[in-house]
Amino acid sequence: MDSVGFHLAFWSLAAITVGGALMVIVSRNLIHAVIYLILSFIGVAGLFLTLSADFLALVQILIYVGAIAVLMLFAILLTPHAIRDNAETPMRYPAAILMGLVIAAGAFVALETDWGAMRDEAIPAQARVIGESLINHYVLPFEIGAVLLTAALVGAIALAREDEEDVPIHRDSLAQESLAQEAPGGLPEAAVAVAPPASGPAAGPSSPSAGGPSAGGGA
Amino acid sequence: MTIALEEYLVVAAVLFGIGLYVALSKRNAIGVLMGIELMLNSVNLTLVAFSRFSESAVALSTQVFVVFIIAVAAAEVAVGLALAMVVYRNRHTVSIDEINLMKW
Repeated sequence: MDSVGFHLAFWSLAAITVGGALMVIVSRNLIHAVIYLILSFIGVAGLFLTLSADFLALVQILIYVGAIAVLMLFAILLTPHAIRDNAETPMRYPAAILMGLVIAAGAFVALETDWGAMRDEAIPAQARVIGESLINHYVLPFEIGAVLLTAALVGAIALAREDEEDVPIHRDSLAQESLAQEAPGGLPEAAVAVAPPASGPAAGPSSPSAGGPSAGGGA
Repeated sequence: MTIALEEYLVVAAVLFGIGLYVALSKRNAIGVLMGIELMLNSVNLTLVAFSRFSESAVALSTQVFVVFIIAVAAAEVAVGLALAMVVYRNRHTVSIDEINLMKW
């Protein structure tokens, strides 16, 4: 891991990852922030590749870039323009202090700890080993993960869908209310239509409960 | 200078700090979700780095753990975005300053 190409790959991928994450903070438009988040995810996938974790790099691209980021883009595009700003709350000053402390503590622990002996060569055929351990030793967490994903997707659908049964009923009750307001006497519309328009002057006193607009139309 | 475990851990720490800042300071609920995803990514990077450099015979177990973290992150973001859609439909905002119905 001393070759010039490896150094170039690591530092450029680290710059892409951290730079993309920083642009998530800086960019004012939420859609631009998601695009930079995708860039950061791709940088992490490249770092996985430099760590010889080829299976996880592909999973990272497939799930984070292909599913999660696209889901976020859809959720943003389904809301109007006015709430797409990426502004910050007044919590940003303590959050910035906390960020500095966390980065300093993490870097201090990473650099000062004696990590002991390091493996020189990466483990070969990682995807096969991961797959076998998923269906042998980790089969119960695997199944629980499957149930969790199913439950989460069913829950997301149940939360996000409109109640289609309620909407037409609501519209019918609204229409009936507006009809009742048009005929304040409580008369059905048929009774008003039955009144002969020719006997306009006579209709006024004969049906005093009829509303003003209908009587005016008859006269 | 050789690139070993420490460099990856420092990059992951920086990524975690940025994700923490985004999750704590953003006004938009979807922005907060983006910060949480950044933090999960940095933890994944840490685990994969330990898996690569550890001399343990079961070092690949950490990569299985990363697979589970990615699955849970996918479930979390699906439910979180559905919640954001419901909150927007009912209150016409996703600003976490104005979602204070259950605040003490």
